[in-house]
Amino acid sequence: MNEPTEVCDLTGKLPAGWPTAEISSLYDEHSRAIYYLALRFLGDPQKAEDATHDVFLKAFRKLDQFRGEASARTWLYRIAINHCQNLRQAWHDRHVYSNADDAIWENSMAKDGCPLRVLETKELGERIQKTLDQLPDEYRLLLLLVADEELSYEEIAVLVGQSVDAVRGKLHRARKNFAALFEQSA
Amino acid sequence: MKHQTKLSQEQQSAAAHQSQQQAGREFASSEELLRFDAAQTVVPPQIAQRLKRSAGEDAPATRRPWWKNLLGQ
Repeated sequence: MNEPTEVCDLTGKLPAGWPTAEISSLYDEHSRAIYYLALRFLGDPQKAEDATHDVFLKAFRKLDQFRGEASARTWLYRIAINHCQNLRQAWHDRHVYSNADDAIWENSMAKDGCPLRVLETKELGERIQKTLDQLPDEYRLLLLLVADEELSYEEIAVLVGQSVDAVRGKLHRARKNFAALFEQSA
Repeated sequence: MKHQTKLSQEQQSAAAHQSQQQAGREFASSEELLRFDAAQTVVPPQIAQRLKRSAGEDAPATRRPWWKNLLGQ
Protein backbone atom coordinates (compact mmCIF):
# COMPACT_ATOMS: atom_id res chain seq x y z
CA MET A 1 0.00 0.00 0.00
CA ASN A 2 3.03 2.24 0.18
CA GLU A 3 3.61 2.43 -3.53
CA PRO A 4 2.18 5.56 -5.05
CA THR A 5 -0.47 5.15 -7.70
CA GLU A 6 0.19 6.33 -11.19
CA VAL A 7 0.27 10.11 -11.14
CA CYS A 8 -3.15 11.59 -11.85
CA ASP A 9 -2.81 15.21 -12.77
CA LEU A 10 -5.40 17.03 -10.71
CA THR A 11 -4.09 20.44 -11.56
CA GLY A 12 -5.45 22.47 -14.43
CA LYS A 13 -9.11 22.61 -13.54
CA LEU A 14 -8.70 23.31 -9.86
CA PRO A 15 -10.12 26.60 -8.65
CA ALA A 16 -7.82 29.56 -8.29
CA GLY A 17 -6.45 29.76 -4.78
CA TRP A 18 -6.50 26.03 -4.16
CA PRO A 19 -3.08 24.61 -3.27
CA THR A 20 -2.76 22.50 -6.38
CA ALA A 21 0.63 20.99 -5.59
CA GLU A 22 -0.51 19.80 -2.13
CA ILE A 23 -3.74 18.43 -3.51
CA SER A 24 -2.03 16.50 -6.28
CA SER A 25 0.55 15.10 -3.92
CA LEU A 26 -2.12 14.15 -1.38
CA TYR A 27 -4.05 12.25 -4.02
CA ASP A 28 -1.04 10.58 -5.60
CA GLU A 29 0.34 9.38 -2.28
CA HIS A 30 -2.84 8.22 -0.59
CA SER A 31 -5.52 7.44 -3.16
CA ARG A 32 -4.63 3.75 -3.34
CA ALA A 33 -4.82 3.30 0.42
CA ILE A 34 -8.14 5.16 0.67
CA TYR A 35 -9.66 3.41 -2.33
CA TYR A 36 -8.56 0.01 -1.03
CA LEU A 37 -10.06 0.66 2.40
CA ALA A 38 -13.34 1.79 0.81
CA LEU A 39 -13.35 -1.14 -1.62
CA ARG A 40 -12.86 -3.85 0.95
CA PHE A 41 -14.87 -2.17 3.70
CA LEU A 42 -17.88 -1.47 1.51
CA GLY A 43 -17.43 -4.51 -0.76
CA ASP A 44 -18.57 -2.71 -3.90
CA PRO A 45 -16.24 -1.15 -6.51
CA GLN A 46 -18.74 1.50 -7.64
CA LYS A 47 -19.49 2.58 -4.09
CA ALA A 48 -15.78 2.56 -3.29
CA GLU A 49 -15.18 4.85 -6.26
CA ASP A 50 -17.89 7.24 -5.08
CA ALA A 51 -16.60 7.12 -1.52
CA THR A 52 -13.00 7.82 -2.58
CA HIS A 53 -14.17 10.78 -4.63
CA ASP A 54 -16.21 12.12 -1.71
CA VAL A 55 -13.42 11.60 0.82
CA PHE A 56 -10.84 13.49 -1.24
CA LEU A 57 -13.27 16.26 -2.09
CA LYS A 58 -14.00 16.70 1.62
CA ALA A 59 -10.27 16.67 2.33
CA PHE A 60 -9.53 19.27 -0.36
CA ARG A 61 -12.26 21.54 1.03
CA LYS A 62 -10.90 21.19 4.54
CA LEU A 63 -7.24 21.32 3.66
CA ASP A 64 -6.82 24.61 5.51
CA GLN A 65 -8.12 22.91 8.68
CA PHE A 66 -5.49 20.18 8.51
CA ARG A 67 -3.10 21.20 11.24
CA GLY A 68 -0.50 18.52 10.73
CA GLU A 69 -0.98 17.06 14.23
CA ALA A 70 -1.61 13.71 12.62
CA SER A 71 -0.11 12.41 9.40
CA ALA A 72 -1.98 13.19 6.22
CA ARG A 73 -2.64 9.46 5.85
CA THR A 74 -4.27 9.27 9.30
CA TRP A 75 -6.31 12.39 8.61
CA LEU A 76 -7.58 10.96 5.33
CA TYR A 77 -8.34 7.61 6.97
CA ARG A 78 -10.41 9.40 9.59
CA ILE A 79 -12.52 11.06 6.91
CA ALA A 80 -12.79 7.78 4.99
CA ILE A 81 -13.76 5.71 8.02
CA ASN A 82 -16.49 8.16 9.04
CA HIS A 83 -17.79 8.28 5.49
CA CYS A 84 -17.82 4.50 4.99
CA GLN A 85 -19.33 3.82 8.41
CA ASN A 86 -22.11 6.31 7.71
CA LEU A 87 -22.81 4.58 4.41
CA ARG A 88 -22.91 1.16 6.02
CA GLN A 89 -25.11 2.44 8.80
CA ALA A 90 -27.53 3.84 6.24
CA TRP A 91 -27.67 0.46 4.45
CA HIS A 92 -28.08 -1.31 7.73
CA ASP A 93 -31.05 0.90 8.62
CA ARG A 94 -32.69 -0.08 5.34
CA HIS A 95 -31.74 -3.75 5.15
CA VAL A 96 -31.48 -5.76 8.31
CA TYR A 97 -28.77 -8.36 8.07
CA SER A 98 -26.59 -10.02 10.62
CA ASN A 99 -23.08 -11.26 10.80
CA ALA A 100 -22.47 -14.74 12.02
CA ASP A 101 -22.18 -15.08 15.75
CA ASP A 102 -18.77 -14.63 17.33
CA ALA A 103 -19.01 -18.08 18.86
CA ILE A 104 -18.89 -19.67 15.42
CA TRP A 105 -15.46 -18.17 14.85
CA GLU A 106 -14.25 -18.83 18.34
CA ASN A 107 -14.94 -22.50 17.76
CA SER A 108 -13.28 -22.51 14.38
CA MET A 109 -10.30 -24.69 13.64
CA ALA A 110 -7.90 -21.94 12.59
CA LYS A 111 -4.68 -21.57 14.52
CA ASP A 112 -2.44 -18.55 14.83
CA GLY A 113 0.42 -18.53 12.38
CA CYS A 114 -1.31 -20.93 10.05
CA PRO A 115 -0.30 -19.93 6.50
CA LEU A 116 -3.01 -18.87 4.09
CA ARG A 117 -2.73 -20.73 0.81
CA VAL A 118 -3.99 -19.49 -2.48
CA LEU A 119 -3.85 -21.43 -5.72
CA GLU A 120 -5.25 -18.85 -8.07
CA THR A 121 -4.29 -15.25 -7.38
CA LYS A 122 -6.88 -14.05 -9.89
CA GLU A 123 -9.61 -15.21 -7.53
CA LEU A 124 -7.87 -13.77 -4.54
CA GLY A 125 -9.84 -10.53 -4.44
CA GLU A 126 -13.14 -12.37 -4.49
CA ARG A 127 -12.09 -14.69 -1.68
CA ILE A 128 -10.78 -11.84 0.42
CA GLN A 129 -14.00 -9.90 -0.05
CA LYS A 130 -16.13 -12.90 0.74
CA THR A 131 -14.13 -13.47 3.90
CA LEU A 132 -14.18 -9.84 5.02
CA ASP A 133 -17.93 -9.63 4.38
CA GLN A 134 -18.48 -12.28 7.02
CA LEU A 135 -16.52 -10.45 9.69
CA PRO A 136 -18.00 -7.81 11.98
CA ASP A 137 -17.33 -4.26 10.75
CA GLU A 138 -14.96 -3.65 13.63
CA TYR A 139 -12.73 -6.62 12.78
CA ARG A 140 -12.80 -5.85 9.08
CA LEU A 141 -11.72 -2.27 9.70
CA LEU A 142 -8.91 -3.27 12.06
CA LEU A 143 -7.51 -5.82 9.62
CA LEU A 144 -7.55 -3.29 6.78
CA LEU A 145 -5.85 -0.64 8.89
CA VAL A 146 -3.18 -2.90 10.31
CA ALA A 147 -2.33 -4.08 6.79
CA ASP A 148 -1.18 -0.55 6.03
CA GLU A 149 2.45 -0.48 7.05
CA GLU A 150 2.38 3.29 7.41
CA LEU A 151 0.08 3.11 10.42
CA SER A 152 1.28 2.31 13.92
CA TYR A 153 -0.88 0.54 16.50
CA GLU A 154 -1.13 3.86 18.33
CA GLU A 155 -2.52 5.58 15.24
CA ILE A 156 -4.94 2.72 14.63
CA ALA A 157 -6.11 2.93 18.24
CA VAL A 158 -6.83 6.65 17.84
CA LEU A 159 -8.63 6.06 14.54
CA VAL A 160 -10.96 3.45 16.02
CA GLY A 161 -11.30 5.22 19.36
CA GLN A 162 -9.93 2.39 21.50
CA SER A 163 -6.87 1.66 23.60
CA VAL A 164 -3.82 0.04 22.05
CA ASP A 165 -4.36 -3.04 24.23
CA ALA A 166 -7.95 -3.35 23.08
CA VAL A 167 -6.81 -3.06 19.46
CA ARG A 168 -4.21 -5.78 19.96
CA GLY A 169 -6.75 -8.11 21.57
CA LYS A 170 -9.34 -7.57 18.88
CA LEU A 171 -6.77 -7.94 16.14
CA HIS A 172 -5.78 -11.29 17.55
CA ARG A 173 -9.37 -12.51 17.25
CA ALA A 174 -9.86 -10.81 13.90
CA ARG A 175 -6.81 -12.55 12.39
CA LYS A 176 -7.94 -15.89 13.73
CA ASN A 177 -11.44 -15.46 12.37
CA PHE A 178 -10.19 -14.21 9.04
CA ALA A 179 -7.88 -17.21 8.64
CA ALA A 180 -10.67 -19.66 9.48
CA LEU A 181 -13.15 -18.09 7.11
CA PHE A 182 -10.57 -17.68 4.36
CA GLU A 183 -9.75 -21.38 4.46
CA GLN A 184 -13.45 -22.21 4.29
CA SER A 185 -13.87 -19.98 1.24
CA ALA A 186 -11.49 -22.09 -0.90
CA MET B 1 6.77 -1.71 18.94
CA LYS B 2 4.63 -2.19 15.93
CA HIS B 3 7.60 -2.02 13.62
CA GLN B 4 9.28 -4.83 15.51
CA THR B 5 6.19 -6.97 15.22
CA LYS B 6 5.87 -6.15 11.58
CA LEU B 7 9.53 -6.87 11.01
CA SER B 8 9.23 -10.34 12.48
CA GLN B 9 6.14 -10.90 10.37
CA GLU B 10 8.10 -9.84 7.31
CA GLN B 11 10.87 -12.27 8.21
CA GLN B 12 8.35 -15.04 8.67
CA SER B 13 6.75 -14.19 5.38
CA ALA B 14 10.12 -14.15 3.62
CA ALA B 15 10.77 -17.62 4.97
CA ALA B 16 7.33 -18.70 3.83
CA HIS B 17 8.03 -17.39 0.36
CA GLN B 18 11.28 -19.34 0.15
CA SER B 19 9.44 -22.52 0.83
CA GLN B 20 6.66 -21.55 -1.52
CA GLN B 21 4.86 -24.38 -3.08
CA GLN B 22 5.14 -25.22 -6.74
CA ALA B 23 1.70 -23.87 -7.53
CA GLY B 24 -0.02 -20.94 -5.93
CA ARG B 25 1.05 -18.59 -3.20
CA GLU B 26 1.32 -18.80 0.51
CA PHE B 27 0.83 -15.89 2.89
CA ALA B 28 2.05 -15.98 6.45
CA SER B 29 -0.60 -13.66 7.81
CA SER B 30 -3.82 -11.88 6.95
CA GLU B 31 -1.87 -8.59 6.81
CA GLU B 32 0.48 -9.97 4.21
CA LEU B 33 -2.44 -11.26 2.17
CA LEU B 34 -4.24 -7.91 2.35
CA ARG B 35 -1.06 -6.00 1.47
CA PHE B 36 -0.64 -8.15 -1.62
CA ASP B 37 -4.28 -7.58 -2.53
CA ALA B 38 -3.90 -3.81 -2.02
CA ALA B 39 -0.82 -3.75 -4.22
CA GLN B 40 -2.81 -5.46 -7.01
CA THR B 41 -5.64 -2.95 -6.70
CA VAL B 42 -5.76 -0.23 -9.32
CA VAL B 43 -7.40 3.05 -8.43
CA PRO B 44 -9.94 3.80 -11.18
CA PRO B 45 -8.59 6.80 -13.15
CA GLN B 46 -12.10 8.26 -13.41
CA ILE B 47 -11.93 9.22 -9.72
CA ALA B 48 -9.31 11.88 -10.51
CA GLN B 49 -11.39 13.09 -13.45
CA ARG B 50 -14.49 13.35 -11.27
CA LEU B 51 -12.51 15.17 -8.59
CA LYS B 52 -11.34 17.73 -11.12
CA ARG B 53 -14.90 18.36 -12.24
CA SER B 54 -16.28 18.50 -8.70
CA ALA B 55 -13.55 20.84 -7.49
CA GLY B 56 -14.14 23.07 -10.49
CA GLU B 57 -17.88 23.24 -9.80
CA ASP B 58 -17.29 23.63 -6.11
CA ALA B 59 -15.18 26.75 -6.24
CA PRO B 60 -17.49 29.63 -7.18
CA ALA B 61 -20.17 28.72 -4.66
CA THR B 62 -17.77 28.30 -1.75
CA ARG B 63 -15.48 31.19 -2.51
CA ARG B 64 -18.05 33.88 -3.37
CA PRO B 65 -19.05 35.87 -0.27
CA TRP B 66 -22.72 35.46 0.64
CA TRP B 67 -23.37 39.19 0.56
CA LYS B 68 -22.19 39.38 -3.04
CA ASN B 69 -24.81 36.79 -3.97
CA LEU B 70 -27.41 38.76 -2.05
CA LEU B 71 -26.57 42.04 -3.73
CA GLY B 72 -26.09 40.41 -7.10
CA GLN B 73 -22.57 41.79 -7.44
